[in-house]
Amino acid sequence: MLSWPEKRDVIGQSTPRVDAPAKVTGAAKYSSDVQPEGWLYGMIYRSRWPAAKVTGINIEKAKQIPGIKAVVVERDGERTVRFYGEELAAVAGTSKQACLDALLVIEVEATPLPFVVKEEAARNPNSPRVWPDAANLPEPNVREKGDVDKAFAAAAAVVEGFFTTPTQLHQPLETHGNTVSVTYDGVTCWASTQGIFSVRDGLADYLEVPHEKVRVITDHMGGGFGAKFGPGAEGGLAGRLSKAAGAPVKLMLTRFDQSLAVGNRPSSFQQIKLGADADGKMVAFEMNSFGTAGIGAGASSAGGGGGAGFPAPYIYVVPNIRVKQSSVAINAGQARAFRAPGHPIASFGMESIVDELAVKLKMDPVELRLKNDPNKIRQREYAIGIEHFGWKQKYKPPGSSPGPIKVGVGCAGATWGGGGRGTQADVQINPDGSVEVRCGTQDLGTGTRTLVAVVAAEVFGLKPEQISARIGDTQFPPSGGSGGSTTAASVCPAIFDACTNALQDLQKKTGVADARGSNWSAACRKLGVNPLTSHGKWQEGLSSSGAGGVQFAEVEVDTETGFVKVRKILCVQDCGLIVDKLTCETQINGGVIMGLGYALYEERVMDSATGVVLNPNFETYKVPNFADVPEIEVILVDMPERGVIGVGEPATIPTAGAIANAVANALGVRVSSLPITPARVLAALGKVGKVGSKA
Amino acid sequence: MKPFQYAAPRTVDSAVSLAADQGRFLAGGIDILGEMKDYIASPRLLVNVKDLPVTREITPGKESWTIGTNVTISEIEQHAELKRIFPGLQQAAAEVGSPQIRNVATVGGNLAQHSRCWYYRHRDIHCLKKGGDTCYAHDGENKYHSLFSGNPCISPVVSNLAIALAALDARAIVRRGREEVALSIADLYAKAWENPEAHNSLTGTDLILRVQIPDAGRRSAYQQVSEKASFDWALVSCAAAATVEGTKLSKVRVVLGAVAPIPWQVQAAHDFLEGKKLDDDVATQAAGIILKDATPREHNGYKVPIAQALIRRTLKQLVG
Repeated sequence: MLSWPEKRDVIGQSTPRVDAPAKVTGAAKYSSDVQPEGWLYGMIYRSRWPAAKVTGINIEKAKQIPGIKAVVVERDGERTVRFYGEELAAVAGTSKQACLDALLVIEVEATPLPFVVKEEAARNPNSPRVWPDAANLPEPNVREKGDVDKAFAAAAAVVEGFFTTPTQLHQPLETHGNTVSVTYDGVTCWASTQGIFSVRDGLADYLEVPHEKVRVITDHMGGGFGAKFGPGAEGGLAGRLSKAAGAPVKLMLTRFDQSLAVGNRPSSFQQIKLGADADGKMVAFEMNSFGTAGIGAGASSAGGGGGAGFPAPYIYVVPNIRVKQSSVAINAGQARAFRAPGHPIASFGMESIVDELAVKLKMDPVELRLKNDPNKIRQREYAIGIEHFGWKQKYKPPGSSPGPIKVGVGCAGATWGGGGRGTQADVQINPDGSVEVRCGTQDLGTGTRTLVAVVAAEVFGLKPEQISARIGDTQFPPSGGSGGSTTAASVCPAIFDACTNALQDLQKKTGVADARGSNWSAACRKLGVNPLTSHGKWQEGLSSSGAGGVQFAEVEVDTETGFVKVRKILCVQDCGLIVDKLTCETQINGGVIMGLGYALYEERVMDSATGVVLNPNFETYKVPNFADVPEIEVILVDMPERGVIGVGEPATIPTAGAIANAVANALGVRVSSLPITPARVLAALGKVGKVGSKA
Repeated sequence: MKPFQYAAPRTVDSAVSLAADQGRFLAGGIDILGEMKDYIASPRLLVNVKDLPVTREITPGKESWTIGTNVTISEIEQHAELKRIFPGLQQAAAEVGSPQIRNVATVGGNLAQHSRCWYYRHRDIHCLKKGGDTCYAHDGENKYHSLFSGNPCISPVVSNLAIALAALDARAIVRRGREEVALSIADLYAKAWENPEAHNSLTGTDLILRVQIPDAGRRSAYQQVSEKASFDWALVSCAAAATVEGTKLSKVRVVLGAVAPIPWQVQAAHDFLEGKKLDDDVATQAAGIILKDATPREHNGYKVPIAQALIRRTLKQLVG
């Protein structure tokens, strides 16, 4: 069985991204930059009704607009639309303006239907049904263990709370979209995707061509967080437009489109009750929760995990539990997997109630966690965190900091699976000593290309910049989608195996006993004229799964204006063997910043009267700017003996819970809904008067 | 965006006459292009006023400063003398949008910008402000909306500069018909108080040429609270100006933004503060007078305590 080398020269170092020069000079072409010869713009016509019976779509006038080369309807015949923004038709033309003009003259015959866009309203049995044959709120899933009622009756301390989290929209900086070229020979798709092979298969099936006829290329893409696995409705429509127009069609969604129909993190409404004995050992847990995944879950994401259920009581061991969870349907865009599906929701509710319990027991919150979270790695991480953060000095009784601007601290923990398997790779060693590694994975921006180079450089005794890492093409050996924090753990072992094979082949063929490092050039020259090619695949023993991670937050809250400023986040994180320290840290930074957005700013706002998303833009769907980002300190717990484990997801899980706990610690009262806006802080402080009353 | 024609006149006469036939003025373009892209406005003609003579200068004078309509927000932000004499104006400018926006957005455009209400800005909602018959914010999502309004539309004025300029008793010199008229900032927005379709008092051919700010030796200050630390609209903003001797205030102005369709100022509060020594109690009483008639709706009641805090803090900043 292969194992990682004991002594590592490149792995675990801070290696700058191999593609950084290309990215900062603009040489790197993102999927949205691709401009194949003769390409056309594509755009989608969307439902303007949150619910309607559509009986006809007339595209004749759109076809007459100068510059328009193709118009297609999304599907023929009568249909029911169930949310504002559902795809109805698409156009392709020689300019953006031609497409916009064409969208304006598409005529839709429709009868509006009643709709409901708010979770609490949709639960009412008298509200309009999203699906005619099913209640909006089905019976809950129930999980029960032990005797909850008895345990609560005997508990020394019981706390209860009601917590809500918003629908968080997928807002990668590069919107969803593809450029698709359908020709007689086959289909080429430049995709902004997390899974080139799942796009290939999805697009081939949609266009009814063999999988091998479709080539998907993703050289560089601008972010994917769980909703970019399949071609999407936009990819299929681009394919049909390309076929109809006989030209490549680039169909990238607008920010407006992005906010409607390509996925989100479900909302949650969590009623939680937690009991403990006098020593702080948790004895009973009860939860009733519901949330919405819009009209459904998981649509065309091929990523799964988009439902409104989530783990409870999360990372804590409680002997007696009763959990009832349900999803309520509303007329809104559907959920899709979203960076650590379920976990930030679970973490926020659970970590909030745990801190409430600590307050009730007059116990240090970290101590209470250590008593009830048996995970050895997190125990170690809390110990590191207490020390580095200065927790003992910083933690004060809730609301005790003086003055109108109050300071508070909080913490929270995470768990995530990660791991991965199944990747294959080819290595080609050229007689001049240059090395090409080919692998059909893709880089979401996390540094996959760099990891490939780092692992190959380690095996060959070279520098990462001496390796050409070629990824993002379905003509390379297959790899899986980049989701669930599986890429590093799936790709690195395959590269290691392929390079180990290549090194052995090279040494055998050339008779050089050790071809590595300073012997490399001389050994490669002995190959003569033909390059050497070796194959490798993911092997057992080089990776595993199961990451923890804890975060500590320090905040200041202006109790007169409600403004929350996060001063610092400390993340203590494990992910097995660290492959590239730098990209690992930066990926954690990104996870923390996304968690910060979830904690303080992000929330899809639906309008009850009109059924639209009111904030389909970055003006009012607020994401963090640099000025909002605190000092982020990352302490990596390197565990090489565990092999490679992914880190993309765990890093975003506990941020919101830690911030919420820090805010509660500062204020002495809890803001139990995300995002924690000035309005909610002031309301929690009792400073907001009754509606309609004079100030 | 619908197709449009474009003109770049070199004289005010020509600009005004061009605008008369379904035209809209274009300067920095931040506001008008957004409206056009979202189909909120589809003018036949864009009249670029950036090349009009004597509109890009910041000019000191004996009694007042003059700032041309095409001066950018960042020019105000970075003007050392303005910062010294009218710190409230500089602080208001520094909070506008992002650096990229401030580099192109202009004084005239900032003052004349339209409502940011998310119902008004939504392409598929025909609200009261767009000539429809319903203000959806009334019983809908109104967390960003007004505490005061003289008409059923509750979208607030969001121009930072208007709030600071109102506190400084500035006047907007507006070309109206064949004349130049000097409007107080209150006059510049008065129509929005009573008319739900109005964003300000300007007609389609009224063109702001410059603003004049009296240099009366008063101190000034501006503060706002937003949901984010930067590049975000004010939930509430507050500007104040006064002559200060020790802690004694006179010629006081306190103006709130983002709480009414107009810069919100209450004469009774100015009268109350006249000649008073500022302390917490006085500031709190002034805030009480200014907010007396506030009518919070379902989601915007939190603006009241923010306004109270900002009034206290801005006044304190004057004497600090």
